[in-house]
Amino acid sequence: MTEAVNISDAVPQPSHVPDAVVYDFDMFHDPAYLADPHERVLDLVRNAPPIFWTPRNGGQWMLLSHAANFEAARDTESFSSEVIPHAQVEAILAQLPPGTPHIPRAYPINLDPPLHALYRVPLQRVFSPTTINTLAGNIRALAGELIDAVVDQGQCEFMKAVAEPLPVQVFLKMLGLPLEKLPEYRQLVEAHLSAAGNDAGAAIQRLQQVAAAMRDTVLERREHPQDDIISMLWQVEIDGRPTTLEDLENYGVLLFIAGLDTVMQGMGHGVRHLARNPDLQDELRASPDLISDATEELLRRYTFTVPPRRVNRDMVFQGVAMKKDERAIHFLPAADLDPKEYPDPGFFDLRRQGKAHIAFNAGPHRCLGSHLARVELNILYEELLKRMPRFRLDPERPPTFKGGHVIGVQQLHLLWDK
Amino acid sequence: MKIRINKAACVGNARCWAVSEALFPLDDDGYIEVEEVDVPPGMEALARRGARACPERVIEIIEDDNIEGDG
Repeated sequence: MTEAVNISDAVPQPSHVPDAVVYDFDMFHDPAYLADPHERVLDLVRNAPPIFWTPRNGGQWMLLSHAANFEAARDTESFSSEVIPHAQVEAILAQLPPGTPHIPRAYPINLDPPLHALYRVPLQRVFSPTTINTLAGNIRALAGELIDAVVDQGQCEFMKAVAEPLPVQVFLKMLGLPLEKLPEYRQLVEAHLSAAGNDAGAAIQRLQQVAAAMRDTVLERREHPQDDIISMLWQVEIDGRPTTLEDLENYGVLLFIAGLDTVMQGMGHGVRHLARNPDLQDELRASPDLISDATEELLRRYTFTVPPRRVNRDMVFQGVAMKKDERAIHFLPAADLDPKEYPDPGFFDLRRQGKAHIAFNAGPHRCLGSHLARVELNILYEELLKRMPRFRLDPERPPTFKGGHVIGVQQLHLLWDK
Repeated sequence: MKIRINKAACVGNARCWAVSEALFPLDDDGYIEVEEVDVPPGMEALARRGARACPERVIEIIEDDNIEGDG
């Protein structure tokens, strides 16, 4: 078996794409990327054009520079989040036979303005920084429990032990889903995380399973509201009409997908960096006030989300000719390692001054869960450094990674002296 | 010193608010509530830090004529 066996086939270079902006990179399977993702990103930043077309993954544009990502994120008319246009989706759904089970759609992440705002506004209050801060106590208690459960072992596989269960449990509590459902949700997360490729049928099925797993609680909360997100979503209006079961299921799959495969990866990248830098651990243990700065610099140094867009018109974007309906990828990990914005970008600088990173993207689609993610990351680092002695990577079992729309840490084996 | 914010372009990162809740008040949705703020004496450094923290780059610091700014 050769290393390149999984690389997707190259598609022919379109005639409007000059050689100068072509670079061969498979964001799912590039071997160097999977071996050490952000080292490969630094290599791309040094050696690939700031906006390039790759023949892999069906042929697509990769936006690398901060300037390209920043402009594209704010120009939602040129770069659409509707990977399939909304009207087209509606037309397809309208043709399904009556009685077809609802196909949940992750609104509002895949909608463009102005429809986007109608679906986003009801969620904003729930995910505002002040609301999220009220959850900090619970998150801290949970993080402490998970860390204490392994601290006497002298070793753990951090993703399974802490990074995955922490956000899943926070998510269940916020939504108001019963904790007994935890194993079922863990299984759905697992299926979602390990699903490869673009099998739309399987993806729809998974989304329907997610919706089904929430349905009892969703219906129960309509009659008996409690202090949780599902109850709140029954009480809001979308464009002046009350929410329906379908709306609740759409929101449910959005929160599920966006919430569960993201913050855990941030924890993985951050804790790997700490494990490789014992001096940084010591510094942060001595000055916990610096941990929130460390959280921000870790987000910049190891930005891990890679959201897709659809080019919405023929245009020349920052000197590059693009055609309507081509795919363009916000390669945010590269944007936050752009030396034009962040001098010596590969250096983790706890005292870095200057420009803020865009790990949560820019523009109206700024990550709705960014405040929750920050609180979870901060608390995790605080509790880990407080409860655990100096930890390091297990040299026998180096970390493994996955590519795609979220740069994931699959396994992160840690060791420490008991 | 004044802070001027392109309120319509705020996307709710709330990083300015994380620097100073007093200088950068938010609405209930977590978006900036004000367009212009007179910076009380002694809070200039916080104002500059808050402006720098905005990933969306929609916060501008207007220095008084007689005060040397640091950009």
